[in-house]
Amino acid sequence: MRSLRGLRKLQGLRLYALACGTVSLTIVFTIIATLFLQSLPVLMAENTNLMGTHWNPGKGQFGILPMLFGSLFVMSIAVAVAFPLGLLAAIYIAETRSSKLRRVLKSFLELLAGIPSIVYGLIGVAYLNIWVADLFDLQSGRVILTAGILLGIMILPTFLTLTEDAISAVPVKFRENAKSLGLYRHEVFFSIILPQAKTGIAGAGLLALGRALGETMAVMLVIGSLDRLPKPLLNPLSSGQTITSKLGREVPESAFGSVHFSALVFMSLIIVCITVTLTIVSRYLFRKTGADV
Amino acid sequence: MSRTFNIRYAKERGFAFIMRLSLLICAGILTFLLVSIFVKGIGAISLEFLFTSAREFGRSGGIIYQLLGSLLMVLVAILIVVPVAVGTSLFQYAFNTKKGIAYLLEQSLYALNAIPSITYGIFGLIFFVNVLNTGISWFVGSIILAIMMLPTVTLSTYQAMTAIPKIYQENAAALGLKKSQIIRRVTLPQSLQGIVTGSLIGLARAIGETAPIMFIATAFSGVSVPRSLAEPVSTLPTHILELAQQSTDPQALQNAWGASLVLILLVSAFSLLALFARSYLRRQGRK
Repeated sequence: MRSLRGLRKLQGLRLYALACGTVSLTIVFTIIATLFLQSLPVLMAENTNLMGTHWNPGKGQFGILPMLFGSLFVMSIAVAVAFPLGLLAAIYIAETRSSKLRRVLKSFLELLAGIPSIVYGLIGVAYLNIWVADLFDLQSGRVILTAGILLGIMILPTFLTLTEDAISAVPVKFRENAKSLGLYRHEVFFSIILPQAKTGIAGAGLLALGRALGETMAVMLVIGSLDRLPKPLLNPLSSGQTITSKLGREVPESAFGSVHFSALVFMSLIIVCITVTLTIVSRYLFRKTGADV
Repeated sequence: MSRTFNIRYAKERGFAFIMRLSLLICAGILTFLLVSIFVKGIGAISLEFLFTSAREFGRSGGIIYQLLGSLLMVLVAILIVVPVAVGTSLFQYAFNTKKGIAYLLEQSLYALNAIPSITYGIFGLIFFVNVLNTGISWFVGSIILAIMMLPTVTLSTYQAMTAIPKIYQENAAALGLKKSQIIRRVTLPQSLQGIVTGSLIGLARAIGETAPIMFIATAFSGVSVPRSLAEPVSTLPTHILELAQQSTDPQALQNAWGASLVLILLVSAFSLLALFARSYLRRQGRK
């Protein structure tokens, strides 16, 4: 009798756990299926020029190229700002091997990584865009460059800590051996540390890329929201639009079920595919190094 | 001989120099961020700012309803997510024997973590607001934030479960405890620190989110405490967003800084609590 009750309790627990597992597993598929279903109308509609450069919902033209280009452009600027700075600073922190300095810096960086993106947006609006406007003598500082720099600053703490972890994970004895051979710091780094830490660093980079692509609020406030390709194409001082800033601005204005709404959902699906792929690849790289994220 | 030595030495000096320089630049930027938020925010914060409602579209008055709205939404979200997260990690830890399903579940949790926050907003808008026809509602916002927190809380709980020493289970089994008793008496209490830390970290992230809730759960002005599940609230992040868009108005900007500082203090409070909870509960668990 007693054992029967125990068994029933176990069955209850098992059912509860199974239900929760199912829910967790289905959420991500529900999200992707929903996005896909809602993207269908624009994929089926004719003459939408989906891969064109003109976005004009009134005329039924939904060229997503300016937004896609804007996202990639802003991301590249962010990477150009964050990666060299973050990598060099991470080497310095990791190689200094002062555990006190490391701990202080690490907690400081975690605090910064926790700052909500809207606050970065506020900083962009209040300072950065004015500085950019003054520096380049522009009428408005709400340009691609501002968004890129702001995004670079946003991903810097995350990239720095993860890179530092990857570099610190290389065993001390390699460093000691190399140093005892009389190698200088840059030689130790480039010939000993880098070959071992590079997958971890690449993983950190991809994760930061994913963050940069998916970031909405800060970019939306400073990019100027202009749905055209910059002229000339690589001019960072013109206003632009990223996929996420477009979504933030236009989703509230579009009617649910319209082709316009569907085009926006389609862009969101593209971004999801890219960021999920980046994360899965970076997970694979981290696993290869054995680092724990 | 001496020539090559000099080149190597120069490279060493150069490398050391640019490393120091980058660290200095990083530290400079990041210190500037914190200091400017703090200095600007302190000027705006007063008891009146914290405890009165917003007036003139946020230009004057305080943030009491935004503060309450933010807290209400994330606290309800955590109530929704904890049972699901604990069940999921229990499933993964104690009941699931299929490697394939375990792998799929883990990957889909990481995928969930990777989805950009604005996409959650769009998903909520399609699935809840339009298909299920809930309208703009703070409760839908809580559900969406709960989904966003799910990976954090689940992975943290699961890690705590796998960290329980094998000997605890073996001892419990040797004493004749049934599997359900082991789960309730050993697994769950021992993984409490993972649940609590994961929840606090999830809270710290969720309270600062703007993009997932701005389409589905919030309204800007004229909102007080909601009387039903289907009413919008106003939150700190969406309030800052509105004020930042009126950035030419110094009064609005001032209030935006105040709200930002309050938000950051909340985020830091949750993170610090997570840190303390981890070390305190870990010590308790090992007693």
